[in-house]
Amino acid sequence: MEKAKQIMARLAEKGISWHMASSKSALNIIAAVYGLWIPIGTGKGIERLAILSKGHASLALYTWLAVMGILGEEELESFSRVGSRLQAHPVAEAVPGVIASTGSLGQGLSIANGLALAGRIDGVAREVVVIMGDGELDEGQVWEAASTASSNKLDNVIVVIDRNGLQHTGPTETIKRKEPLAERWKAFGWHVVEVDNDAVKIAETLERLSQVKGKPKAVIVRKGANTS
Amino acid sequence: MVLVESYRRAFSEALLDVGSRNRDLVVLDADTARSTGTLAFAKKYPERFINIGISEQDLVDTAAGLAIAGKTPVAAAFSMFMLRAFEQIRNTVARDSLNVKLVGTHSGLSAVIDGASHQSLEDLAVYRAIPNMTVVSPADAIATRILVSRAIEEHRGPLYMRLGRDNAFRVYDDSEDFRIGGFRVIRDGSDVMILGIGPMVWVSLQASEMLKAKGIDAGVVDVYTIKPLDRRGIVKVASRAGLVVTVEEHNIIGGLGSAIAEVLAEEKPSKMLRIGVNDSFGSSARSYDELLEFFGLTPKAVAKRILEVV
Repeated sequence: MEKAKQIMARLAEKGISWHMASSKSALNIIAAVYGLWIPIGTGKGIERLAILSKGHASLALYTWLAVMGILGEEELESFSRVGSRLQAHPVAEAVPGVIASTGSLGQGLSIANGLALAGRIDGVAREVVVIMGDGELDEGQVWEAASTASSNKLDNVIVVIDRNGLQHTGPTETIKRKEPLAERWKAFGWHVVEVDNDAVKIAETLERLSQVKGKPKAVIVRKGANTS
Repeated sequence: MVLVESYRRAFSEALLDVGSRNRDLVVLDADTARSTGTLAFAKKYPERFINIGISEQDLVDTAAGLAIAGKTPVAAAFSMFMLRAFEQIRNTVARDSLNVKLVGTHSGLSAVIDGASHQSLEDLAVYRAIPNMTVVSPADAIATRILVSRAIEEHRGPLYMRLGRDNAFRVYDDSEDFRIGGFRVIRDGSDVMILGIGPMVWVSLQASEMLKAKGIDAGVVDVYTIKPLDRRGIVKVASRAGLVVTVEEHNIIGGLGSAIAEVLAEEKPSKMLRIGVNDSFGSSARSYDELLEFFGLTPKAVAKRILEVV
């Protein structure tokens, strides 16, 4: 984690700090999902996939992939250059681990539902995490998809919400209210937990959620939250 | 004698047919299964059918997820309301070149009683402008059955199929064949070439008969693949006559007439007449024929327009 922060600081010194607030707050989630949850799943014979629905946090994803040795540190400097595979918003299959192009907010959960439904049809052990911003929850499609997941009892779909309280032009609650956030997801038929913004705690929570059956699950990541 | 069949019934039959041999086919609908024709598939293969509810954006991206997982999803909705998911189609399905088949029913004026809110007259323009997208519009029920199965079993990548409701005038015999990417010359002509699409292919054929009685030799072409357009083939066909006419149940802007004009303007400037809905919305009516009458899309009206310029 220290290495990731160093890389992001170095990139910022070179003027590469696009949507850095989003990346900084999503870094622990990305580390937990890509660094721990996916590899642990591989060990258990579960196909685990992740969608960075808040594509604006791409710098955190690329940084973490560099920490894991999947991307070269020098390559990060090609970020957002014409023709670079490190496009500002992640492009599917251009970068390992990116299965769907994002950038347009609110689409990741529907895609995850499709992957989960295909897993059910094919009898494949598959779990899908969707990393969403709290501002992103303004998009109506998120709630269409939330209903689809619970109606179809997609207990292999997990939403991780980066509850940093900020969206593009200010605090979330002054723009469009998100609270009571946990209750909203519960009302849509989801199992909800809250967790502190800490990579290990997030990964432990995700691992524990594998045991919860019959409902899709939402993890609200909030700085200082006590794991519930 | 005019034989009018149903696009959605043809679609329904094709889904059942392909579904029996293709286990990867998954059908999704936005709570309109009874109307679009997916209901029979839903009953026969409930494990491979998803009623997503009245939520077209979710419909399209769920199909995207199924395609990423290797399935072949067919997402059906009223053509008009599929447009609600334009951005999902553009940004996810097309950008990632996913093998999703989008079928928009009730296109053109065919949602007769519903009227303007349900009559999609802009869809060809919208889908044509999306990179990676193939756009197909069959003329009749036979063409629909064949093109639906080819779209699912042979074509890879994003595809939009424009279907009407129960307004499929019979054009072809059972022996005809079609391929995604093709067009079909039904009748050759030396004075006029009429290029039609969807139900307007039959209208063009009837108009051609009427013109014959006036001593005008009018050919008819079914441009069932509007994208990718066979540019060389279209130029060759258009070269045969002094006047090129397009007839479509679509806004005059951005559809078949525009597509043909784009090609001919660059390759072989030709005298052209574009017939369609003249940049307006639809209307409720008690019958489809009344609407064709109102918008000048009957064989008689088309023949009259051609006579004015030929």
